[in-house]
Amino acid sequence: MIGSGAAGDGLAAADGVLTSGRRPRVARALDLLRAELMKIATTSIWWIFLIGVIAVTAAALWTSGVSHHFTLDPPLATMGSAARAQAIAQAAQARTRAGATAITVNMITAGQFLGVLFALLLGVLLSTNETAHQTAAITFLTTPRRTLVINAKVAAAACFGALCWLVSTTVTAVTTPLYLHSQHLTAGAASGVVIRSVLLNLLIYVLWAVFGVGLGTLIRSQVAAVIAGIACYLAGYAAVELIFHALYSLYPHGWVLGAAVIAPAVAGTVAISPGHAFPHAPPQWAGIVVMAAYALVLAVGGIAATRRRDVV
Amino acid sequence: MVIMLGVLIIGGAVWFVRRQAASRPPLADRQTVPISAARSLAPHPVAAAALDFGRIEVSGLTKQYPGVTAVQDLTFVVEPGSVTGFLGPNGSGKTTTLRMILGLVAPTAGTVTIGGARYADLAEPVRRVGGLLDASAAHAGRTGRDHLRIICRAAGLPASRADEVLGVVGLTAAGRRKFREYSLGMRQRLGVAAALLGDPQVLILDEPANGLDPEGIRWMRGLLRALADAGRTILLSSHQLAEMELLADDLIIIAGGRLVAHGGTAAVTSSLCGAGRTLVRTPEAAQLAAELGAAAVLTPGADGDVYVMGVDAVAIGDAARRLGIPLYQLVSERRDLEAAFLELTACTAAIR
Repeated sequence: MIGSGAAGDGLAAADGVLTSGRRPRVARALDLLRAELMKIATTSIWWIFLIGVIAVTAAALWTSGVSHHFTLDPPLATMGSAARAQAIAQAAQARTRAGATAITVNMITAGQFLGVLFALLLGVLLSTNETAHQTAAITFLTTPRRTLVINAKVAAAACFGALCWLVSTTVTAVTTPLYLHSQHLTAGAASGVVIRSVLLNLLIYVLWAVFGVGLGTLIRSQVAAVIAGIACYLAGYAAVELIFHALYSLYPHGWVLGAAVIAPAVAGTVAISPGHAFPHAPPQWAGIVVMAAYALVLAVGGIAATRRRDVV
Repeated sequence: MVIMLGVLIIGGAVWFVRRQAASRPPLADRQTVPISAARSLAPHPVAAAALDFGRIEVSGLTKQYPGVTAVQDLTFVVEPGSVTGFLGPNGSGKTTTLRMILGLVAPTAGTVTIGGARYADLAEPVRRVGGLLDASAAHAGRTGRDHLRIICRAAGLPASRADEVLGVVGLTAAGRRKFREYSLGMRQRLGVAAALLGDPQVLILDEPANGLDPEGIRWMRGLLRALADAGRTILLSSHQLAEMELLADDLIIIAGGRLVAHGGTAAVTSSLCGAGRTLVRTPEAAQLAAELGAAAVLTPGADGDVYVMGVDAVAIGDAARRLGIPLYQLVSERRDLEAAFLELTACTAAIR
């Protein structure tokens, strides 16, 4: 108890308001999480990301939809006889239950490739905003236990990753059944497989957001961290494709192509693809393990760096 | 295809980040809030038990950066219920010291405790210690009120405290405006508001008067005086001795990371300036010297004036009356405080 304030003096807190014993650990952790969520919600960044996620999801739905349309209803009149036979076989395969499942999964997780980039960037901004706007000092004055702050950021990033997933999946979940209906796809998809893919997609969004927090904590410069995050994701994807195909031409073993899963972007794709994401792709769990390992290593590295560093 | 997409996205992201950075607030903007908007201050006294908490003890504090010793073997105690001015020229280690006290910078050697505990070990630091370190420290696109509400949330304080402290610093009307629109003076007020959120017994403020107009400086002085009179410990840094002389009860002066003076304001300033001397114009200087005795040291000045050291103007006037000699001029001179301060800190800075 600090003292009793004269009524209305404004400076002194009302009796009891500021009096408290040590709050329970869980309550404090939740307060920190809510503070981190507020940091994003009180700036204009969130609606830019909202529009971005909806836009990339819509674009991905459009391209997937067009491509599946040509598989399901190939323009046979324009084809040679050999191509026509192949196209008919593909269309027939696509109209089986397995084919319908693959198309449904592809449509309902559309937008993942660029959508997770938004989750990643939100994670990065959660960390680098503190440096860019010099708020790290006030954050650590409020909570000197720095590990708790980074933990709260990881949790907040997970929430924002989940939110990106929710927005994207809402768009696809409304659109996909309409699309399947419009394509007269009568074979029902295996709903268990679809639901599993949707939930794994959620996991990948969350893991990318956590990855972003770790990256932003290790690389404190906002511009540098954003570039590193995007480069790691997109350029990493392209580079890995090139490298592993080059290696494959030297050592033509299937596992060489499969090893591309070590790139985080490839791991994310592997993790949500039922069956195989690409020829010789490792199983789904390998993608999940790789993604989780990246997110964990970066987050732990971020905590270690933050504990050690001086806040200036 | 993927690479082109990457280039596009990176380009877009860099543009966005730079735009955010460019929209950081202009410092020259001089909108200030009328002082009348600030509520009258009648701080409540701090309970006796809390007084024990408020002592800041710095012992052997040292911070070395590669190639530079920013702070060297600093030892001092700040007592509760007083305003302590922490003075030194730019780059003398003031901010580094304050950051070490607040647990943001790890000392190379030495210890700092507030009420016997390290800042990082305080159970609820915001309710114990209020810190203002950098006035431009808030997200440019966030409102002042939201900035405070986030701190309230993280510290487990009720959100209503944000509005209360905005009232205390006279920012109620500007609370819902974005930080980038704030003038430097308004930012200082917001920083003080943040420091007051938990109603702490100890306030540690780094150059809080920076960027304030004269009216704002007077307001700040009144606020800090009232807080100290209510039993709080206030440690504030400045590089202006004249400003501190008006406000501080105690002074700590550092230069080149070392302590050069510590004590009551009057004692420190008089030791800085020396005892002073008195200029006397009289045709009977020799008689006066004999009357004043051995305690007085007379040195001749221009135009037959003499400078008297060792006795004050009252003693000289009394002696002249006893002798019945005329005095045409009797002027007490104090050595210029600012000059003395500069001399003191410059010479120590040179040791570095």
